[in-house]
Amino acid sequence: MKIAVIQFPGTNCEHETLVAARSSGLSGELFRWNRPAEELSAFDGYIIPGGFSYQDRLRAGAIASKEPVMDALREEAERGKPIIGICNGFQILTESGLLPGLGGINVALASNVMVSKGEIVRRGFYCAWTTLRTETPARRCSGSFILNKGDLVSMPLAHAEGNLVTADEDLMERLNEEDQIVFRYCDEGGRVEREFPVNVNGSLESIAGICNPEGNVLGLMPHPERSSFAWQLPPTDSAKSAGDMTAPGPGRRIFESMKRYIEVMR
Amino acid sequence: MRIIGLKDHEVDAALRSAGLGLSVSEARSIAESLGRDPTIPELFSYDTMWSEHCSYKSSRATLNEFLHTEGPNVVQGPEEDAGIVAIDDEWCVVIAHESHNHPSQILPNEGAATGIGGIVRDVNCMGAKVVATADPLRFGDPYGKDKNHVRWVAEGVVDGIWQYGNALGVPIIAGDVVFDDSFDSNCLVNVVAVGVVKRGEIIKSRAPAGAGEKGYDVIVVGKPTDSSGFGGVTFASEELREEDEEANRGAIQIPDPFLKNVLFKANEALFQLTRQEGIVIGFKDLGGGGFTCASSEMGASAGYGMDLDLDLLHKASEDLPPEVVACAETQERFMLICPPELTPRALKIYNEDWDLPNVYEGARASVVGKVTTDGRYVTRYRGEVTCNVSIQHLTGGIRYDREERPRVVELEEPEISAPEDLTEILLKILGSPNVSSREHIYRYYDTEVQGNTVIRPGEADAGLIAPVRDEKFGIALSVDSNPFYGRISPYWAGATAVAEAMRNVAAVGAYPATLTDCLNFGNPEKPEAFWEFRECVRGLADAAKALWLKGYEETPVPIVSGNVSFYNESPDGAVDPSPIIACVGLIDDVRDAVTMELKRAGDSVYLIGPRFDELGGSEYYRTVHGVTGKNVPIVRFELERNMIYAVIDSIAKKLVISAHDISNGGLGATAAEMALAGRSDLGLELDLDAAGSDLPADRLVFSESSGFLLECREGGEEELEELLKGYGLDIMKIGIVSSSPELVMTCKGRTVLLMDLSTAKKGWTAGLSEAMR
Repeated sequence: MKIAVIQFPGTNCEHETLVAARSSGLSGELFRWNRPAEELSAFDGYIIPGGFSYQDRLRAGAIASKEPVMDALREEAERGKPIIGICNGFQILTESGLLPGLGGINVALASNVMVSKGEIVRRGFYCAWTTLRTETPARRCSGSFILNKGDLVSMPLAHAEGNLVTADEDLMERLNEEDQIVFRYCDEGGRVEREFPVNVNGSLESIAGICNPEGNVLGLMPHPERSSFAWQLPPTDSAKSAGDMTAPGPGRRIFESMKRYIEVMR
Repeated sequence: MRIIGLKDHEVDAALRSAGLGLSVSEARSIAESLGRDPTIPELFSYDTMWSEHCSYKSSRATLNEFLHTEGPNVVQGPEEDAGIVAIDDEWCVVIAHESHNHPSQILPNEGAATGIGGIVRDVNCMGAKVVATADPLRFGDPYGKDKNHVRWVAEGVVDGIWQYGNALGVPIIAGDVVFDDSFDSNCLVNVVAVGVVKRGEIIKSRAPAGAGEKGYDVIVVGKPTDSSGFGGVTFASEELREEDEEANRGAIQIPDPFLKNVLFKANEALFQLTRQEGIVIGFKDLGGGGFTCASSEMGASAGYGMDLDLDLLHKASEDLPPEVVACAETQERFMLICPPELTPRALKIYNEDWDLPNVYEGARASVVGKVTTDGRYVTRYRGEVTCNVSIQHLTGGIRYDREERPRVVELEEPEISAPEDLTEILLKILGSPNVSSREHIYRYYDTEVQGNTVIRPGEADAGLIAPVRDEKFGIALSVDSNPFYGRISPYWAGATAVAEAMRNVAAVGAYPATLTDCLNFGNPEKPEAFWEFRECVRGLADAAKALWLKGYEETPVPIVSGNVSFYNESPDGAVDPSPIIACVGLIDDVRDAVTMELKRAGDSVYLIGPRFDELGGSEYYRTVHGVTGKNVPIVRFELERNMIYAVIDSIAKKLVISAHDISNGGLGATAAEMALAGRSDLGLELDLDAAGSDLPADRLVFSESSGFLLECREGGEEELEELLKGYGLDIMKIGIVSSSPELVMTCKGRTVLLMDLSTAKKGWTAGLSEAMR
């Protein structure tokens, strides 16, 4: 099972993403954006990692979404292969229309607005550990394939534009009905709140990750690759010093999900 | 430009009208060496290379006199762009440390961003992967007469740091921020970058052996040269005057982390290629002094000359005069010297594989000339020779013997009667701009990118990363300097900065492996400022020498990199002496490292380090009583060494599970921070009588004498006490971790402090955001 980690100019999380994917038993390589796009069909799955592709010119993800490599990915997605977009990768997937995958561009990841008690308390970039609550049943989505509804997964986030918004009034209802909302920000006990600091960036319904209707394409703002080893955890987590340097962290389950999805689907 | 035969005032007028910083005597010595009048581009090249920033003309003698730059673990001392020490037989850590003070005062965002941009290039060009940065920042008084401007600078600097560092993809794992009115019109923005490289894969920033004889190519890589940053090093070597602000803006470089990110990847591809083929290259960043500085130093340090054609250099526009092309400090550029047979493949990596021309308008790699054997530094432009000088004379710089005179300051200790209750005082200190939680700032920083982070800002006294996958070792990083101590005693400011930076890495369990010093002072032409500089260097060198490299007796912790920043002075006066120290600590296994937050109710807490009447420059004196005082904390070298080693050993033996050093705000702030850093459901009960001191309670709690608070693993008390005794340390079992969220201190049977942690947390977390709002 071989995956490609796509590298755009300005991507900055590709190495640790590949390491995390390999820790789950996937094999893979980095794939530079200007390689012949047809080479992509040789891979079983794809990860678009975090960073600042094309300097976030215009909007985060906007330029990368127009690259030929994204057309090739769209074709692979139609064949049912899994694609996971992390942070800037999520932004690229929404700009390309692959997410939420309803035709056209339906959502945007806008600038963070931290709201508490009705007031804006902060804006801009924010880096912190967060907890995600799985909102979909197991097997619904490639990147949460082995996670059950209600499962909590902690990982860091680090972005300035992760505030999911839409101009389509009916979209939220549809995403909820179709089980396309995969992760929500919650507190350590699993309680979702609409306000900062639990809803860390102001996202509608505290959304942290969504999938397409078919479930093979997932985008999420937080970084599972930064939580794939136990030693990466915060010191208040007792699992931090357990096991050796290869001991898993919670984020690895995203990559393990992808692996399981590929095993089952092919 | 005519110099020979003109009178001094005529030469001076000509230099100033050309925008040169050279003195008349410097210009005359250049003409004398050439045996003719120099050209304008030649004068600008000398102006750059002989600036204080590039030549260390005032500081070199002092640095050579005091600093220990060698040691058993040193792989590369301060001669190159970055210093290198060994981690083990295979891996090395690379570190560089610089200031970007003046640019950040004028244009905070761009100034701070280009500061990071420059320092990461210094580390990358050694062949290293850049794995961490740290940012020591000094701003003016956020509640003082210039508060609006101070806050504008502070906000802009923090924005510049995150916008650059986060996009580049290097985690910011350490730093500090101090507000002090001496920085009202001259902030300090220091930057530290750390990298890792295998010992056999270090690349030197000089022309390789044989480069002259075989006519190696000189290649410039990156952004097209423009006029930005022209005069930058000269600007850094003058006092700041408000009337010059408009003119100085042009001397500030323009940052581009996006292009840097792509360049780093292309550089890595180049490095891999040269390793595979066993080809030795020279590689250097274009930083202060631009093209002239990089090319002349690369040639001169190998004993060669250079013949360079500025027409071949890719430029943003074709109408730039030769001195601008040569000396502008356009960011995101590197210089490569390689054998001609490598050139086509090197160009392909940059211009095709990583597609620089399409990624960034005008960016590319261009061959600009050859290394020669004649020892001349020659540049050509539009068919004319624009510069033809001795490369050694150009890069050799000049030396000044500056006069020093002790600064006389009237200092006295205040008379304070000890208050009955210390709770309100501690709350005030915890909410003060300099002690409150740094969270408001570090949440802007990507502390996690690269996925190597083990300990983050706010979790311990130092940040810690595991920078190489499949290896267990960790690199800890901390920075320190207290300007208020510098105000009282430059010598002890230097010594305490070294000691605290070392304590910080020791507090996570790492041993101090190397230090860097970024020395920020006023105008060295003023004898008092030069004296402060020398005193600080003497103090920090004494501390590095006396605190020993662990495992080697009588061997100083080496100082492998650093920077001197003079002229941090405006008409309002000079900054408080600020020898900012960074310490790299190493730990064999990152899973043995500890953090500062309290772990378990019932655990014993030990105080390390007796309390002395040392409150000069303390938070207590300044924040609560509005005075500076006189009795600055000093470093008792043997005691300090024993404390640091004892803490490292006790963490390695898993006897200590939380540690925090005592510094600003004293024992009181340290205890509160240990309780506030975690989930805040644990508290502390401390019995001050255990400190064995007859100081009044307020002095005991707020003295900033060095030390630690340690939480002992359950059942490990006896073994810990044995270990501490072995180092000759007093046993001061000062209290226990409690299960109620409050901090309680008793003294002589009386409760002197009872602080609710949730109340404390509000002030502690709000203090910094209020100061920066």
